Amino acid sequence: MGFGDLKSAAGLQVLNDFLADRSYIEGYVPSQADIAVFEAVATPPPAELCHALRWYNHIKSYEKQKASLPGVKKALGKYGPADVEDTTGATTDSKDDDDIDLFGSDDEEESEEAKKLREERLAQYESKKSKKPAVVAKSSILLDVKPWDDETDMAKLEECVRSIQVDGLVWGSSKLVPVGYGIKKLQIQCVVEDDKVGTDMLEERITAFEDYVQSMDVAAFNKI
Amino acid sequence: GPQELALLERSLGLQEGNKYGVQGERKIPVLQTSNGPGLIGLVTIAAYLVKQAKKEQLLGSTAEEKAVVQQWLEYRVTQVDGCSGKEDTRIILKDLNMYLEDKVYLAGNNFTLADVLMYYGLHPIIADLTVQEKEKYLNVSRWFNHIQHYPGVRQHLSNVIFIKNRLYTNAH
Repeated sequence: MGFGDLKSAAGLQVLNDFLADRSYIEGYVPSQADIAVFEAVATPPPAELCHALRWYNHIKSYEKQKASLPGVKKALGKYGPADVEDTTGATTDSKDDDDIDLFGSDDEEESEEAKKLREERLAQYESKKSKKPAVVAKSSILLDVKPWDDETDMAKLEECVRSIQVDGLVWGSSKLVPVGYGIKKLQIQCVVEDDKVGTDMLEERITAFEDYVQSMDVAAFNKI
Repeated sequence: GPQELALLERSLGLQEGNKYGVQGERKIPVLQTSNGPGLIGLVTIAAYLVKQAKKEQLLGSTAEEKAVVQQWLEYRVTQVDGCSGKEDTRIILKDLNMYLEDKVYLAGNNFTLADVLMYYGLHPIIADLTVQEKEKYLNVSRWFNHIQHYPGVRQHLSNVIFIKNRLYTNAH
């Protein structure tokens, strides 16, 4: 994680790409995560890094409230895209995660809006601790499932295939394709998470329906 | 119409109890008030509800911010609601995408009624976009995803999915 060196053009580019579809470094409200990165960036990013600049100007508008934003400042290496190497030399000590400052009771002027934001942020922080924010590799696979003969009930065959429910497997659309002699094969699309589902396993499960399925082939395989 | 106003009431934390009707062919919402002829029109009623909820900051703080909020409320009723067909939709999304490039919220740095009503108005359009279109209008997607996560706004409306791994574009 981390953005690399945020004082370098390369680091700012990583930040810019990261923020293209995000309003904040973490979650959907401004937090100490934004303050940590903001302080590391120090000066406004150049105009061509439009997402980083948008974020920078937005966080700047919270300058006065920065101490009361939710969350706990962590080492810079803890933020940002999961696939970037942490070059900040920070330790992977996760003790910080348990130390949520409940923002004391000395802020009497807290508006209702800020309170709601803070509570939402806390809930997100809790759920984030239990989820892995990894980037998931997926593939789109087109399978050809062949029946024994032209009398095979293709509707039942499709039902059998779709009944295979596995974590990391999502069935897509399908169609029947004639292959000659009145026989039709089932061509069905699926999207799989690479580290959970493989074509071997799919073949095993599908050909297990021996009454209907003669064989299965991979017609097309694309990384997405 | 009335359903949207009910959504708005809940997002503002108001107790329900206001009575809504519709008027005319275009089904313009009407709010019956205890004294007077009633309030007519989505924007009029929405602004009234904001004040009822004592959340006037949602209408903007500075003179400029208030004007920008009004601008987008007007846009919602004239452009978004009057939109028919793919070409109109494309123009709206293109304009909005350019506008949002350097802004987190429609009014700049603060969440306002403009964000709420534009979100409700655009929801059916955005929900129907393809993955490719959502990537094309990247700033709109970012803003929409942000607003739908804002506490109290989305309620029972469907959560529109935005994929984090960009499939189509490598250059921004």
